[in-house]
Amino acid sequence: MSQYYDLDDIIAEDELVPAVFQVAANGVGLFDSSDETNKVEQGSRVELPFWLARELHLRQAVSISLPPCFNQKTRDELAADAAHVDLKNRCPYFYELGCKLFSLAGDKSIAFLLLAAFQTRYKEVLIKAQTAALAVAPKFLTILTKEEMKLYEAGQSSMAAFKKWRMGGPRFQKASVLGRKRRPSD
Amino acid sequence: MYGKKACELVKEFSSSESGQLSAFNTNLFAQVNEECNFHFHQLQSLLSKMQEEGSDNQTARNADHFGALIHHLSLVRNKRCLMAYVYNRAEVLRSLCWMVDPLPEEIQEKLSSSEKEYSKNHSATIKSYQSETDLDLAVDMVPPKDPYIKVRVLDDIGSVALSDQIANLARHAILFLRRTDAETYISQGLMEELTD
Repeated sequence: MSQYYDLDDIIAEDELVPAVFQVAANGVGLFDSSDETNKVEQGSRVELPFWLARELHLRQAVSISLPPCFNQKTRDELAADAAHVDLKNRCPYFYELGCKLFSLAGDKSIAFLLLAAFQTRYKEVLIKAQTAALAVAPKFLTILTKEEMKLYEAGQSSMAAFKKWRMGGPRFQKASVLGRKRRPSD
Repeated sequence: MYGKKACELVKEFSSSESGQLSAFNTNLFAQVNEECNFHFHQLQSLLSKMQEEGSDNQTARNADHFGALIHHLSLVRNKRCLMAYVYNRAEVLRSLCWMVDPLPEEIQEKLSSSEKEYSKNHSATIKSYQSETDLDLAVDMVPPKDPYIKVRVLDDIGSVALSDQIANLARHAILFLRRTDAETYISQGLMEELTD
């Protein structure tokens, strides 16, 4: 269960999910700005953020379908070579959203898709985190989801900590807030 | 789309470097509050309309019910975003209070007025606890190996009476000081530790 104050959880729930209204709703006119009736008709197709789609789906007010990042094309690409698919561009919260959608939509194939993708990509992330020179890394980093980024950084920092432990290093450090250049915009 | 601005606020915090604060986004924060007001008024007008028509909110599943539901959910969502923004900033602020005391000017000016008060009260609480236990809790965050360390002074501090000597802390001077004396200066960025 995610925490109430969890920033990543909040942002993950902002991803858009295609939905079809099964009922009409009064007083909500913002879904379609050209529409001035201030009403959503039954059968309208809209893209709702996940937090809204989930609650409405649980009350049988909308039916949801899978967002484009879980379409057949992405699945084929993941099956071919998961490690080199640009998941960040498709959905930076691929795994989180997938887990949430799985429990909601009851589509079993999502679970296997997520597991297979994660297994392949995890291996790649760890290898890159421990070996890749900094010059190679930036290109590789652009395709990682938020979760994988954290894993990569954790891998790198534990590698750095290991090296530091072997060499010995300074015991006192400047507070990280000091000695930082102020940004001109501030 | 509902809830967009609130999420922007959260994203802005999330994309900033962890452990550091950017300026409190008063403008966007007020806009989200405004949106909450809008949802609240819409919700109320829908509910009173339903009451006039005599339909029960619990059983009637008409268009008004779902309209009200959407506004209610948006309110809850906005609240969560605002709370998360304030809460996570307060967490960062609290850890900063332990690292540097008092907070430098450049951090102070990024805080909202309630955050300033929070940091002030938190520092005061730490101080009063420390004087009660008679311990400096901020010292030795990392266990020491040697009571003396070699440091380089980065700024002209002048002549200071340390616990075991009176030292002239001139800029670029390299000195051998007691660890406990040097640590406050290092954490303030006025000295750096030299390692061989």
